[in-house]
Amino acid sequence: MLHSSFDPVALAVPFFILTIFLEIVLARIGLIKATYEGRDTVASLAMGLGRGLPGLVLNGAIFAASVWVYQHRVFTVPFAALWGWVVIFFLEDLTYYGFHRFSHERRFWWASHVNHHTSQHYNLSTALRQTWTGGIAGTWLLWLPLTWLGFSPAQVAIQQGISLVYQFWIHTEAIGRMPAWFEAIFNTPSHHRVHHARNPRYLDRNYAGILIIWDKMFGTFQPELDEEAPRYGIVKNLGSFNILRVAFHEWISIGKDLLTARSPRDVAGYLFGPPGWSPDGSRQTSEDLRADWVASQVPATDHKG
Amino acid sequence: MAGKAFLIQFAGSAAFVAVLAAVAALARISKPRSALTQERARALLADEFPGREMEAVWVSDDGCGAVARAGAQALILTEIGDGYVARDIPWDGALAARPNKGIVQFDLADIAAPRARLAFAVWPPGDTH
Repeated sequence: MLHSSFDPVALAVPFFILTIFLEIVLARIGLIKATYEGRDTVASLAMGLGRGLPGLVLNGAIFAASVWVYQHRVFTVPFAALWGWVVIFFLEDLTYYGFHRFSHERRFWWASHVNHHTSQHYNLSTALRQTWTGGIAGTWLLWLPLTWLGFSPAQVAIQQGISLVYQFWIHTEAIGRMPAWFEAIFNTPSHHRVHHARNPRYLDRNYAGILIIWDKMFGTFQPELDEEAPRYGIVKNLGSFNILRVAFHEWISIGKDLLTARSPRDVAGYLFGPPGWSPDGSRQTSEDLRADWVASQVPATDHKG
Repeated sequence: MAGKAFLIQFAGSAAFVAVLAAVAALARISKPRSALTQERARALLADEFPGREMEAVWVSDDGCGAVARAGAQALILTEIGDGYVARDIPWDGALAARPNKGIVQFDLADIAAPRARLAFAVWPPGDTH
């Protein structure tokens, strides 16, 4: 089965619309915690709406590449086999973790992903602030090994869709903490609030898609702390709600930096270094910001002697 | 046929986006805002630029932004929606800006936030040294 007419994301669109509407109304009457700003909401929803447009051009090529890889697969996983769905659930979620971590730690892929983090709000509409340039950035290549292993392109696409739909509901401040057993295994609103926070302590943490276990295994887990409320957005927030600026600002910044590059090392650093990298170290990466923050937490007496 | 289906779906989604955006705006549930005070501006700038020693802070006339001097840098804070944007620029550059009809436009030299427009009837302030 190469192509599936079952698209979890398309089917979930009415649910997305209804729950955003409910979140706004319930917050308005004071039953839940949520904040919405009109222009911010327009930007988020417009990014979600426009997400399908680049796909009109690129989806055919991506699908063709997937089919070609599937024709050279090493095993064949039957589409109807339950064990196949169990295995792809874990493998796709691990792939998502890797993709997401790459997308934060390397500037070329951050340029594609950053728009999802540009809102200073954290509500259900933020979930729909999706990238327009993921196809160009080539992040879809990371899922090809699943197809090469023997999962059909349709099965991979369906599991990707399930993951995306799961991640919608965790973009909310309306839910505090889920039961402890759930928080231990699954990505939750609390874990993902940390991921969207720009506090140095929270930067580049909790990359999970559905399962939080990957962050715990690979050392990137950070629980949400009651004493430190998340401040949402990016390290240097956008000064505009213009969706073209939201979608392309980091790509343009990369282009401007490349024009000033004086060596292959500069080019490689600007493209594939961590966001905030600069040849002379005059800018700050997430690690720099975290180190500064840690240093600022050391009591003054510790500096003596 | 597929193109027509996409267009219908896109148009329908666009209509829902317009409705949701209108509902979000009418609900008036943005973050609470109030004019900046010296203390609040300092706190926000300290969050944005941890560890920077601020020698002086000037809050804009309308309380929607502020400029701080931190050594050779100007730390600029300006309102966007119900949040804030901050950048640092060379102090000399900030000092060279002039008010036009009560607004000072600071060039932030950043595609993500190209400029900050702050209400200062008088700029630079007299006490910049």
